Amino acid sequence: MAILAYATPTDDQIAWLDAASAPDLLPAHLVAFLQCGVSITLGACGRTGRPVVGSGVACRVSGMNTVRVLLSRRTEAAVIDAVEGGSAIAATFSRARDHRSIQLKASRALVRPVAPDDASEAARQCALLADDLVELGYARAQADVYALLGAPDLVSLEFRPERVFTQTPGPGAGAELPR
Amino acid sequence: MSAVDLRALRGSMEGFCASTLCTCDEEGLPNASMISQVHWVNEDHVALSYQFFNKTRRNLLATRQACVQLFDPSTLAIHRLDLDYVETRTSGPLFETMKAKLAGIASHHGLEKVFRLLGADVFRVVAVEQVQPPSAPPACRSVSLLTAVRACVDDLARCRDFDDLADAVLDGMVRHLGISNAILLMAECDGRLFALGSRGYAVSGIGAEILPGEGVIGIASREGVPIRIGHMSAEYRYGAALGAAARSAGLIAEEPPGVPFPGLGTPHSQIAVPVMAAGRVLGVLFAESDEVMRFDHECEDALLLVATHLGAMMALLREEDAEETPPAHVPAVLPGGGVTVRRYPRDDSLFIGHDYLIKGVAGAILWRLLREHTTTGRTDFTTRELRLDQSLKLPDHAENLDARLVLLRRRLEERGACLQIEKTGRGLFRLVCRCRITLEEVGKADAIEVA
Repeated sequence: MAILAYATPTDDQIAWLDAASAPDLLPAHLVAFLQCGVSITLGACGRTGRPVVGSGVACRVSGMNTVRVLLSRRTEAAVIDAVEGGSAIAATFSRARDHRSIQLKASRALVRPVAPDDASEAARQCALLADDLVELGYARAQADVYALLGAPDLVSLEFRPERVFTQTPGPGAGAELPR
Repeated sequence: MSAVDLRALRGSMEGFCASTLCTCDEEGLPNASMISQVHWVNEDHVALSYQFFNKTRRNLLATRQACVQLFDPSTLAIHRLDLDYVETRTSGPLFETMKAKLAGIASHHGLEKVFRLLGADVFRVVAVEQVQPPSAPPACRSVSLLTAVRACVDDLARCRDFDDLADAVLDGMVRHLGISNAILLMAECDGRLFALGSRGYAVSGIGAEILPGEGVIGIASREGVPIRIGHMSAEYRYGAALGAAARSAGLIAEEPPGVPFPGLGTPHSQIAVPVMAAGRVLGVLFAESDEVMRFDHECEDALLLVATHLGAMMALLREEDAEETPPAHVPAVLPGGGVTVRRYPRDDSLFIGHDYLIKGVAGAILWRLLREHTTTGRTDFTTRELRLDQSLKLPDHAENLDARLVLLRRRLEERGACLQIEKTGRGLFRLVCRCRITLEEVGKADAIEVA
């Protein structure tokens, strides 16, 4: 296996400053990152006040400011219920091969039906993630399930990120990337 | 609590991949992150690795609730667990177990300098939800572990003394449990451990010493819990390889006296389980492999059962003291030539000529025998007199003496020394000197010669 260079929080901060754009727009490198086949961890606050963790299948960004995370209604009922109950949303995007991780947060999100081409885009992103995992030593079956390849009954969780954080492991992890 | 037994989820907590975690702050704002380690504690508790003081940590302290998602790499099932925070442990068995495991995980991901365990956060599991049902049959083992343990225990049950036990347990690990590299070590009172036997190495390493708290073996002994690492970690590595590298880099001048540890140069999996009886750690069973994640929770269960049975058998089979004084043995006329046995009182280490032989209690025992032999010509001894000899500073427990005599006998045998110890009966043994022996206490002027 090739020796990989790992990402650092500083990389995220430099990239962020280099690409400083209008405050309500996401920089192009981040938009590319979100859609490049990363694992997506979702966090919400359930109706009882308990935290709920979930997984997104893929991500689509439109207008450089609106994020849609695709997820399975069947397996992510708890997250969907929390969002429909008015919960804020947190979504962490992690690239398997170098651990680069970015967290987006928004005070609210909407649950919407998927667009006609969402399923094929989801399959593309899942396949990229699964291939990365296989390269890192996962068996094909493990990678496909972990990457949620073929997740059924997709819906979309739509939100406009209000805050962005670097979650890449290392000194400075968790720091907000100011907008 | 859900109907799912947490024990069924242990496979999801082997550290194969990171788990995901959500916490919320007091206003209900969520935080989603990855967590390096979710550790199975018992039927209704898990522990999470606390590595940084970050948002997750602040949220946990404020709301005391978390939600984690686990992936089982074997069955491919995914589960979600609701957790209530109980406490953080910063020392002790659970902390050390997680610290060792994290070191392996960090090394595997190239994050050795980034990941450091600050605490083990213990949580009660209040709900379990199956997000994704199992879609693959659990990995099938070539050997049923229960059958393998039964065979090991059966072999131990046939042993008549500690010598037999030491061989039976190592042979059983290889033959029945399919372990290729195994070492049995016995504990000294001061926390050091000495290898008593091994399987799967070019040299046996009998007499090799592990310092208190050193690597997985030292920690398993100190904490009295199994320690297991699924990936190679420099922090927990043993072996002559490290010393050799340091010497060639000029960091250390020369090889320290002692028997080199026989371990693999780059083990990818290591496990050390304590051998215990009546609440005391008598030694450690150690196994390692070139394979990544070779030892899982169930392997650990199996080895711990074997080790615990070994501990009980050691206590049961302790050598009874001989009732009678042994008959006087007339030593054979010794051929010409001879060797000097040197003792360094600082650590009771003995050298035959200039070659290191042994140290610690086993060294003190041999020196005691040689001195007696020097002054009286005696060759036959009893374990009882050794046990009663205050100068040996033996621990109170009989099996410790048995283990040391076995260590001493095996070390002499392996060295092919002109000195040997032979067992002559229950609680009886003989010192056999095949050449003229001179004793020299380093730091003292006079040498004593054996007649």
